[in-house]
This record gives sequence, structure tokens and C-alpha cells, in this order.
Amino acid sequence: MKKSRRIQQIIVYLFLIGGAAFCLLPLFWLVRSSMMNSLQIFEMPPKWIPSPFRLQNYVEALTTIDFFQFFRNTLFITVSCLFGALFSSSIGAYSYARLEWPGRRLFFGLLLASMMLPSAVTLIPTFIGWRFADLINTYFPLILPVWLGSAFDIFLLRQFYSTIPKDMDEAAYVDGAGPWTIFTRIIIPLSKPPLIVIGLFSFMNSWNDFMGPLVYLNEERKFTLALGLQMFQSLHSAQWHLLMAASTVVILPVIVVFFIGQRYFIEGITLTGMKG
Amino acid sequence: MKIGGIHIQHKRRIAMAGILFALPSILGLMLFVMLPMLASLLLSFTDYRIVNTPKFIGLANYIRLFDGTDPYFYNSLWVTLKYVILRVPLGLVFSFMAAFLLNMQFIRGKSVFRTIFYLPSIVPAVASSMIWLWLFSPDLGLFNSFLEALNLPTLNWLYSEQTVVPSIVLMSLWGMGSTIIIFLAGLQGVPRSLYEAATVDGAGALRKFQHITIPMMTPIIFFNLIMGSIGAFQVFTEALIMTQGGPNNASLFYNYYIYRQAFQFGEMGQASAIAWILFIIILLVTVIFFRTSKSWVFYESEV
Amino acid sequence: MNKAKRVAGVVLSSVLTISLLLSGCSDSGGPEAQGGKNGQKEPVTLKFSFWGDTIEKKTVTEALERFEQETGIQVEPMHVPADYLTKMTTMVAGNVAPDLGYLSSGAALSWGRDGKLLNLTPFMENDPDFKKEDYLDQIWYEIEPGNIIGMSTAVEGYGLMYNKDLLLEAGVELPPTDANKAWDWDTFVEYAKKLTLDDQGRNALDPNFNPDKIRQFGLQYDPYNMMAAVVSNGGNFLTEDGKGFGLAQPEAIEAIQKLADLMYVHHVSPTPLQTKNMPDTALQTKKVAMTVSGNWALQAFAEQDFNLGVGVLPKLKESNTLLDGAPTVIFKSTKHPEEAWLLYKYMTDPESVLPLIEGGLWMPLKKEWYTNPELINKWAAGNKAHPEGYTEAFMKQTIENGFRTPGFEVKNLDKINALVTPALDLVWTGKQKAEEALKGVEPKVLPLIEGYYGR
Repeated sequence: MKKSRRIQQIIVYLFLIGGAAFCLLPLFWLVRSSMMNSLQIFEMPPKWIPSPFRLQNYVEALTTIDFFQFFRNTLFITVSCLFGALFSSSIGAYSYARLEWPGRRLFFGLLLASMMLPSAVTLIPTFIGWRFADLINTYFPLILPVWLGSAFDIFLLRQFYSTIPKDMDEAAYVDGAGPWTIFTRIIIPLSKPPLIVIGLFSFMNSWNDFMGPLVYLNEERKFTLALGLQMFQSLHSAQWHLLMAASTVVILPVIVVFFIGQRYFIEGITLTGMKG
Repeated sequence: MKIGGIHIQHKRRIAMAGILFALPSILGLMLFVMLPMLASLLLSFTDYRIVNTPKFIGLANYIRLFDGTDPYFYNSLWVTLKYVILRVPLGLVFSFMAAFLLNMQFIRGKSVFRTIFYLPSIVPAVASSMIWLWLFSPDLGLFNSFLEALNLPTLNWLYSEQTVVPSIVLMSLWGMGSTIIIFLAGLQGVPRSLYEAATVDGAGALRKFQHITIPMMTPIIFFNLIMGSIGAFQVFTEALIMTQGGPNNASLFYNYYIYRQAFQFGEMGQASAIAWILFIIILLVTVIFFRTSKSWVFYESEV
Repeated sequence: MNKAKRVAGVVLSSVLTISLLLSGCSDSGGPEAQGGKNGQKEPVTLKFSFWGDTIEKKTVTEALERFEQETGIQVEPMHVPADYLTKMTTMVAGNVAPDLGYLSSGAALSWGRDGKLLNLTPFMENDPDFKKEDYLDQIWYEIEPGNIIGMSTAVEGYGLMYNKDLLLEAGVELPPTDANKAWDWDTFVEYAKKLTLDDQGRNALDPNFNPDKIRQFGLQYDPYNMMAAVVSNGGNFLTEDGKGFGLAQPEAIEAIQKLADLMYVHHVSPTPLQTKNMPDTALQTKKVAMTVSGNWALQAFAEQDFNLGVGVLPKLKESNTLLDGAPTVIFKSTKHPEEAWLLYKYMTDPESVLPLIEGGLWMPLKKEWYTNPELINKWAAGNKAHPEGYTEAFMKQTIENGFRTPGFEVKNLDKINALVTPALDLVWTGKQKAEEALKGVEPKVLPLIEGYYGR
């Protein structure tokens, strides 16, 4: 291999490794703190290796709050939202990207506009709406909106779908296929990468969502992990060591799901369907 | 004529399918978007403090902002604008570069790198803010130690009015894992055949980048530009957790200002007015982006 | 293959939706559905909302359970892990407020004024078991004469807390616990200097002292607690008549400037930059020798491993201290005011929440716990959270010389603070003198001043 190529490659690696080290910093800090007592966590300059390793933080953290109950709840909500996101965003984006119907532009515009109004001011009207439907303290407000389409997901998929040449559709229509067939036979198979992206984001969002459960859930037995984490902190004090241990446990599934999921970004798969 | 009849029938079929497919999102829009937005718009014309019944007061909430009675409005707009102007271009460039580097064929361990780059966005805010407080610490933080080692003057980072916004921009750049992932997915979608054909034609790396990669990526770049801008205008968490809008209101980001008005002062009507102004601004910016996009975004489906 | 997948997907989603519906319905029925019939013998249920870490949550929940057993009134504890005010605001706006619970002082006063909270005065007067004089005088939240909407959930006094070993090492006399012997300011600064060490071990009195490389501060006087210095100098947030901006008066300006000087002239106290990086372990890790803190810090300090000492605050003109404590309130929307009042009374009895008082997080609401030796021994003496001298330095000082924080009675406090805090930021970062900053913000503050509640 040419020397200059080799050097180029090394430089790229350096950048990537440097960036990766920087990104690993908080996780590292989190994990090392999870095995220290509160005092050591804040020592300056920071000690990066805990000594001794306090694994009992984990035991204590998981027993102080109703961890497994929260875990079950969070899992239920997250999986429900996941299906909802994949379902609604794929059909919605297809419609906006490919099918012409009166009012399409208007609604797409509204969809985008929905992301522009800060949620602080829609929080209360939305809450009152759910109150009106007597669905406070249920999981409905957290799951149903996702089944009816998230603007972010639909917009993203629509952009992806737009990169697929239309002539494939045309050919299919000529062959007598309908929109549904085109959707299932052509579009879906080609959109694995963005669908995986949406799935991952949806998972992460639901898993870490804090505001929704805080506002809509009143009974502790319905709480999610994100709320559980907050219990280690209060206005004047925090049990840092337990908070760190619990946080580590909570983000572990996200990391695992992400690691597994992104392996499906298979190199070489094209969105045009014309491989190689 | 038969052909004409089929044509119309075909169009109708498409339109019906279109509406059907879009039905969940339309429903969602109506219930969860339009209604609350309308409600907040109406509230912005009232004096509503949660504990009273809303009382119509016309444009008073808006006038208070523009004529300076509210001392934070213009300041907050300016601070937010500073943030957006720094953050959006930097964010796009950095994440695109990262995704591009990550996508190079010779890189081993791509899965690991991808996961690591995404980590900052999933680590809980409490851990990230602790890390950054340490990094930014004027006495013992990594950044200042670095600067000292290079014999450069140290900075006050989060604690000085001049440097707090750039510091927060720096912090937010680190959390742009999702943008990188989206760019990656987009890069995967550029057909290899195009690159191969270009190589055959004798094109070098730079040429390929300029004439294949970038144009094919424009829809994704456009997406990240829009989402990045909308997100940047609504920056919030850092102000809430780390600076509380200070020092001296130098990081009083607009969204935090709204939140404070709504939930700390209990002034829902006023907060709604403040929010709607931001909405209009973001809307205008997005419309401008969309209008100008026709000249640079390349949708293959429209070829 | 794909079609099958999609069909499966649709079926799955329908199943999910149906199960959601079912779970949603069964959950939202429950106590509300039961409580619908009038005149029937079903138990009354009260919703009590509160915040707090896991320790406080445990104690409060246990207290509520004991109340349930003793009275037969059901209580549903509603612990809100964070963003308490946002959740409360949303519930009140949506008309699903709890029956009673904690509330921050600003919201309590403001909502009380708008009629959302129950006036407790008639309950207090008509209840033969309740005597207002049994409780401390400073803890009442009164929006206008005759309309008391609550008392503090707990008392919080302020004082000096220090690491005994560091003081003994430096040969500094231990801070007095007797209010009459409180250090005057100059003495205090002198001692603080002795306790401030640079990285070479020189203290701040040493001519070669290096203020840029301090490894131990003599004192951590968090500007957050500045009102303690202000009232000690005879000033207050508003002027006595409630019409003027008290912080722009000479007494307050002097006190605030003295605090700023601790940081920038004497270098004995960390600047806000430095304080942000020192959570409550600063005493143990020997980053600071003394700190001015509210009583609640004792709970954390008790867990830590150092020789804790307490003393009265240094005085400027008078030896006094601050008294703080956000209220518990009853919402007017409650359907069971009588039962809510019973629960309210129960929670104010120090006996019900003894673990929190013993543990150092709270101070009792009733006077006899400050005067009766038997009761005093239950909390203020002989345990890790309350070192020797506590009874004099904190307990006595708070009840006898405790000034209410502005949160108890200043109208429009949140909005005024939104202006004052940035102005003070300039003082605490050493960019402006107190006089300049406060006089500068005074014209903007004056229109917002509306006086005091309850007068």
C-alpha cells in the first residue's frame, strides 16, 4: 500500500479514536462513580479508578427503588411505542413522499410546524385534553400519540423515500400493482437503514422519557425507570453513589439495543435497489 | 377514452391510498398538535395564571414584550440567536465529517465506533453535566489544564458572560450522535455503482466527494439542517441544569425563558405569547430554507 | 414473506392497542370510581403530594401509613421525584390537584391569593385540639390577616458548620455556640484567613500567600445564603414599610459587599466558579474549613466521616439567623376538608416524622421540642447528626432569633428575584461593587414591589 495512503488512514484513525475517547468520557465517569462512595465521586482532581470497588452500590440502588417494576413498565411503554413509530412513520412518510392527494402539502407543513412550538406551552392544554378523556394516570398519553405519527420520524423517512427513483413505482403501476404492493414490495425492503434508525431513536426516547411519565402518572407502581432515577436526588441532597449505579443499569439496555441494531447498517445496500 | 379513464381512476386510487396511509398522522396532527396549539394561541391573548380563569386581554402580552416592559425578551432572543448561528453550521460540518470518516471502507470496528459516538446522547444528563462541570472547571478542569500546558490564557467557560454560549455550543456538539447516525444511514444509501463508475472514469477522492457524495446526500443534509435549526432554537436543558440562565442572563435561552415564565412565575398566558413569537421565527426560517432548497437539494425521485 | 410480516404487524398492533385500552380502563377506574357514591360507607381517601429523596420519602410514607391505621382515613402518597412545581401546576390547571401536600412558598402565596388554597384559620380556631401558640411564631404563611394558608412543613435554621480537626490543627478557637458570644465580623475574617491555605500551606495572613492556588478555603459562604448576613446587619429584602427595595439600603449593601469581599479581598471563600464544583462533601474532603448552611445539611454530614462542629453565625451588628421552610397546604378543591385537616395536623406533629428530625433534615415545628429537655433529647442531642453545641447554636438561636426568609411574605418575590439575581451575579463574580449593582437594579425593581403578605 502506498505510504501516503497509509498515513492518511492513520490520521483518520487518530481522529476517530480521539473523538471516541472524548465520547467515552461520561460513560467512563458514570461507571467509575457507580463503584465509589459519595465522597470519592467528587474528589478533585478526579480519581479514575475506584478503590475499593463498591459493588454494593448496585445492590442498594436496585433495592431502594422498585427497580423491576419500573423496568417492566418502561419495557412495556417502549415496545408499544416502537411498534407505533415504525408503523405510523412508514405509512405516513410513504404517503407524503409518493402519493399525491389534495391537502398533502398542507398537512406536511403542519407536521413540520408541530415541532416548532416549544412544548412548555402545549403541556397544559394537552394535559387538560387527556383529563377530559379521563386518561390521566394511564399509559395512553405516552403511547397513543406515537401510533399517530411523530413528525421527526415521518420527515426523516420521507427524505429517505425521496431518494428512491420513481420509475420503479411507475413500472409497478404499469404492471397493475397498487400503492400497497409498491409500499410493501419495493419501499419497505429498501428502507432498512432509516427504519432501524427510527426504531433505535424511538427506543431511546421512550426509555429515557421523563417529562411524559412525570406529568401523566400518579401512582408509583406505574412509574418508569427515568422517574426512578430522579428519586435519588432532591432539592438539597442526592445519593450520588446510588444514582450513578442506577443510571448505569438503566442505560445498559439502550447501549445493547443500539449496538445490536446498528449492525444492520449493512454496507453496500442501496436504496435504489440496483445492487452493484 | 379508455386511457384517459384509467388515468383518472388511477389518480383517484392513488389519492385515496394517500389519504388512508396518512390518516394516522392526520389524526395525530388534529388531536395532539392542532388543538393544543390553538389552545396556546388563544391563551396568549389572555391573562391566565393557572389559578384563575383566562381573561381576554388582546395583544397586551405581546406588546409587553416588544415595548421593553419585559426586560428579558430581546436579551433572550439575542442569546438564542447567537447559539443557533454557532451551533447549526458547526453541528452539520462536524457530524458529517464524523459520519464520513466512519464510513470509510478501511475502518475496522465500525460497530464499536458507531456505538461510542452515540453514547453521549444516551448518557443521563446528570452524568454528562457532572463531566462537563469538571471539564469546564476554571481551576481543575481538563480544558484549562490543557490551555495552561500550551501557555495560553485560561477561560472562565460557563462562568463568564462572554464564553458561556460558546461553551454550551461545545457541549452540545458532543451530543450530536443522532445526527451522525442519520448521516451514516444516508451515506450507506449512496449506490456503490456510482463510485465505481467514477473510479473507472479516473476520478479522484475529492472529485467523488464533490460530485457524488454531496449531491446524493443533499436530502439528508437538508433534513439535518432543518432539524438542527429547529432544535437549536429550542435549546433548553443546559440552561435548566447548569447555568439557570446566568451568569447575568447571558445564557437565558428562549425556551428556558418560556419555561420559567410558565412554571416558575405561573404566567401561562404570557408564556404562550412568548412561545408563539418563537414559533413564527422558526416557521419563517424553515420556509426560507425550504424555498431555497429547490436550488440545491437533489431528490432522485424527481429526476 | 413481507406481506405476512405486515399482517402479523397489524395483528400485533391491534392486540397491543386493545390490551392498552383494557389496562387503561381498569387503571383509571379505582379510587375515583369508588368514591363516587355519596352517603355510602366507603373510606375517605386523601391524596398527599410531596417531594424528597429516598430517605424523606420513606419517612413520610411511613407516617402516612400510621395515620391510616390510627384514623381509618385512606391516604394515597404521591411522591413527585422531580420538577414538583411543573407537575403541581399541571394538576391544578387540569383540576386534578391532590387534597394536600408540599408547595413552594412562591406558588403557595400566589395561589393562595387567587383562592386556590384552603384558609386554615377557621380550622385552627374551631379545633379544640389545636393551639397556634404551640407552634413557632415564624412559620405561618398568611396572605392577609385572618387567612393563613399553611405553615412550614419543617423548620430550617441556618448556622455555622465546621470541620473541628481543621480548626484545631490551625490553632483557631472553636466558633461560639452562645449567641451572646458570637464572633464579630472582623474576628471572623481573621480566623477564616488562618484557615485558608494555599498549596504551599501558607495561610491567608501570610504575606507570601498565593490567592491563585488555594487548596483549602476558610469558609464557604454560599451567596445563596446572603440574607443571613443582611439581617445580621439590620437590613432586609424590602424596607419595613414594604414599599422600598431593602437590598439597596446601606445596611444590606454593606453586608453584601462584605460577603463579596470574603471572596475577592480576603480570599477566604471560594468564588461561584469554584463553589459549583464542590457539592456537600467539601467539609469532609477538607476543601473548606467552615461553611454557612441550613440545618438540612446535617443529614448528609452525619453520613460522612469527619469531626463535625456547629456554631452560631458571625454577627455584623446583631447575632441572629435565618428561618426557612416551604409550606404544606390544603387545596380548596379537596372534597374532604375535615379529613385533610386531620392529616395536616398529624404531619405537623414532630413525633410523626421523628426520623427526619432526628436525622438532621428537619427541625420541629412545635415550641415544646425546643424547651422541654425530654423532647430535646429525642432529636437535638446525643446523635451523629447533632453534635455538641447544636442545642445552643442552632436550636435556641433559630427559635429565639430566627428571621423569616423573604419567601414567607414578600409579594412578587419570584419576579423581583429574576432581576436581582443577575445583578448580584455581577457582585459575586467580582465585576461590580454591591452598591453599584444594587442601586443599578433598584429602579427596575421598584415597580415590582407590592409589599408584604399578611400585613
